[in-house]
Amino acid sequence: MNITRCSRWLHFTLLVLLALLRNSNQTQGQEQHVKNFFQRADSPSGHTNNWAVLVCASRYWFNYRHMANALGMYRTVKRLGIPDSNIILMLADDAACNARNMFPGSVYANTGRQLDLYGDNIEVDYRGYEVTVENFLRVLTGRVPLTQPRSKRLLTDDRSNVFVYLTGHGGNEFLKFQDNEEISAFDIADAFEQMWQKKRYKELFFMVDTCQANTLYSKFYSPNILATGSSEIDENSYSHEADFDIGVAVIDSYTHYVLQYLEGINKTSKATMEDFFAMYDPVRIQSHPGVRSDLFQRPLSSVLVTDFFGGMADVDIVDSHLFHDLDDNIKLGSSPSPRLSNTNRDPSASRPVEGTGSRLLPAGRSHADVHQTRAWAGLGMVGLLAGFVLLQTKFRTASSGRDR
Amino acid sequence: MERGIYRALPVIRVFLFILGYSWMLMLPSPQLGRGIYIDENALQPGQVNTYWSWDDVHSADVYLGHLEQLRDQNASSVEKSSFVRSVFSELGIPAATQGYSFKTGTMTLDGINTYGVLSAPRTSGTEAIVIAASWISLTAGPNLRGIATVLSLAAYLKRYSLWAKDIIFIVGDGYMDGMQAWLGAYHGLDQSNLDAEPIKLHSGVIWTALAIDYPGHSFSHLGIFYEGLNGRLPNQDLMNSFHIISTHTGGVPVVVYDHVEEQMDSIISRWLPQLFSRQAYIKEYARRARNVIRHVRYQALGRASGVHGLFHRFRVDAITVFAVPATGPHGFHALGRVIESTLRTMNNLLERLHASFFFYVLTGPGTFLKIGQYLPSAVIVSVAMMFGGLRVWVDAGWVKQQWSSEKVNHGPAGKAPKWKTRRRNVIIPLVVMLATHVVGGITFFVVTNSWFLTRTDKTTYLPIIPLSLIVFSILSALLTSDQPTNSQHDEPSPAPLSSLLKAFNLCLASTVISITSVLNFSLAASLAILLGIPLSVSSPTIGLTSKMAKAMSYFMLLLPIWWTLLATPMSQSIWDWQVWGVWFAPFVCIVYLPLVLQATVVCMLDP
Repeated sequence: MNITRCSRWLHFTLLVLLALLRNSNQTQGQEQHVKNFFQRADSPSGHTNNWAVLVCASRYWFNYRHMANALGMYRTVKRLGIPDSNIILMLADDAACNARNMFPGSVYANTGRQLDLYGDNIEVDYRGYEVTVENFLRVLTGRVPLTQPRSKRLLTDDRSNVFVYLTGHGGNEFLKFQDNEEISAFDIADAFEQMWQKKRYKELFFMVDTCQANTLYSKFYSPNILATGSSEIDENSYSHEADFDIGVAVIDSYTHYVLQYLEGINKTSKATMEDFFAMYDPVRIQSHPGVRSDLFQRPLSSVLVTDFFGGMADVDIVDSHLFHDLDDNIKLGSSPSPRLSNTNRDPSASRPVEGTGSRLLPAGRSHADVHQTRAWAGLGMVGLLAGFVLLQTKFRTASSGRDR
Repeated sequence: MERGIYRALPVIRVFLFILGYSWMLMLPSPQLGRGIYIDENALQPGQVNTYWSWDDVHSADVYLGHLEQLRDQNASSVEKSSFVRSVFSELGIPAATQGYSFKTGTMTLDGINTYGVLSAPRTSGTEAIVIAASWISLTAGPNLRGIATVLSLAAYLKRYSLWAKDIIFIVGDGYMDGMQAWLGAYHGLDQSNLDAEPIKLHSGVIWTALAIDYPGHSFSHLGIFYEGLNGRLPNQDLMNSFHIISTHTGGVPVVVYDHVEEQMDSIISRWLPQLFSRQAYIKEYARRARNVIRHVRYQALGRASGVHGLFHRFRVDAITVFAVPATGPHGFHALGRVIESTLRTMNNLLERLHASFFFYVLTGPGTFLKIGQYLPSAVIVSVAMMFGGLRVWVDAGWVKQQWSSEKVNHGPAGKAPKWKTRRRNVIIPLVVMLATHVVGGITFFVVTNSWFLTRTDKTTYLPIIPLSLIVFSILSALLTSDQPTNSQHDEPSPAPLSSLLKAFNLCLASTVISITSVLNFSLAASLAILLGIPLSVSSPTIGLTSKMAKAMSYFMLLLPIWWTLLATPMSQSIWDWQVWGVWFAPFVCIVYLPLVLQATVVCMLDP
């Protein structure tokens, strides 16, 4: 009898151990899979969402070009995939509806007015007198009042790549806001440090187009910041061209060449930031743009331009049997776009798709369910066995007691 | 050290005089001065395409036809203003008229202004730009084409919605009187001799204004007239923007006043030998000198050089655009384009012009002198006069005294004469000065009196000169005899009246020149030239004939007064004072005349 009991116990423990092992195997594989999901083979940036903060800090009609700068950058960033909900656009003045505008309701960035940047689908979050140093710093650090609407908040997390673009009149380590106040390089550096400590960005790209712009990023001290500016200390940044019906300069030189380069980038582009910075030509730009990458951990040759300018997240196809769960989810009318199902029907490629900032759930959910049922089944079986053994011993002792 | 300065003072004074006068002579030189530049960033001149077309030129020609008809019919003010008003009404621009009447001592000037207000289409009209043309041009002929330009501009500008300020079109009657009435009524300024209807159509605060003066058929250059009342100048940015726009967008060269360079070159070649007249330096100097002299003529007399001059009192920057008459090649088309582009530039302004210079001497259309390059010339002369006055004052307080025979025993060193202080009786010289100022005040009162002004024949008053000479000599004899002779041996007699009077005279003149130099440089420079040396060399004389001779020579200094105040039946300066409030006439009577009289009295006294 003892031998059978031992063997039963052995059998029982083996079963339990096997069950546990299988479970742990599953979790390890799950983790690895998640890690693979977040790190694409070609560019391991690890971010899941993109945000952009585009600020035009100067007002008045003759600063039309600063507003055109910010609007041009807005259009490019939107075209490359960052949605309006992830863009904070701050324009200090309304050039489109200025009484002096010969083309009311439009803002152009080139002579000949080929592309209207104001268009019919823009969302300006901070406008006019709302563009202040205080509001800018509050947006960055997240210290906004409770009543602030969602569209005016920077809701980034520790896997967000943030692109900050500033344009206006500036000087040595300062940028002028609205002709009556200034933000200093120290203020911006401290704001970024707050963001880092509150885990509000994964990587941050800072671009500034003003006079003596490179001084504005000289004070940063937080990690994972890549910075670039349009001109050196004691150097002016110049406007590029004027339109002869609007009557003022319509775009700045540095921003013009940046936007021109980005016109050649689309969502699938593999161009790196190294290529981007190699595009800088001080002769054409008429000033010396600078780059600061000492705080940035990844090598620039492995950072894609779309890591900051674009708003993509990957969709990875994991298991084919999960399609059914996914289709059910779609039929129930939940959020994923039709494009998602199309991609799923082609299991061979893991093509990057437009996505929101939230994580993709459908494939994972059914997987977790299977794990759960298996775990409960294993526990149930152990419980049954234990109960059976206990009963057996109880009967045995009872019967042995009577036998003697 | 003080003794060294004291001994060298005459040399220093001569040096300062030479420095000051030669600096004034150097003002037009090509080495001095710099090029004009735009200081206000918002202006962006010459950056716009203009769409003024030949259709608009045609409409201007049509309006011109109507205006010429009115001129040929010898139309009255009522008919002219009703025509202009009907033009504005047809265009849909709210318009109104304003009747006015000036009653000066001798005559009455009345007329009717017409004005229209084009409201800013997309914004509230808190600011305004004025485009004005008066019926009479500065050449004294009719300014028909100027008015035609204004009317066709009104038709053209109404088509655009990009005006951020109201545009007020004013067709003023007369030359400047109409605009004076309009501006006074618009800004709520009352004038005792003016009876003007109130303004019915109000607009915003006027920031800039352009007056168009186009007397001839065509023009070759556009001239800038910029002086305002009492020597005030507009902000230079307005003229500089206009210059750049006319040169680059309009293709019309710009000159100062109507000084076309070719005319100047021919004058020089006639008057100077070939050797000099061909030198570029001499040519440039002559051109600039011509501009400076005309500027001084306007500014010293405090006269506005055009309709624009009336605006400056209200902190409005304004210039007159004068189309220099010629046989070609420009006409309505070029002028319209230039004005359109200038209006677009003025439209860009977000605040009043404040960045560029308000004190400058425009030596050429593209060159000017900053205040530090011309102001010290007059101040240096006034400093020399001040040194002279102080020297005379110090000298008046000391007298060399020969010691009595007791001290002769001290030997050769003891024979050196001692200096002793003496009293300076200040009351009498001050009373004399006050009397001269009172005389000046009486003169001014008489000269501006309507009874005097109605007397057309001023030559009846020439005998005043010998009469006043006699009066002066009697006065001076009385004054000299009034000086107390001191019987006491030790107590030196008090300082002579002539020295004290000369000291006060020089100090006062110096102060007047220095203070005026920052208000009206041309007036200060003229004073420095007229009074500098004569006042410094005034000295008491013995003998009646020499006294008379000296007094006559000082009366020569009063000739300018004669020219400006008494020469013509209704002297221009008196008219300026009565109608525009130019203070040249009172200044001359109450400040300049007394100074000369004081110097004359000094000469008439015994030493």
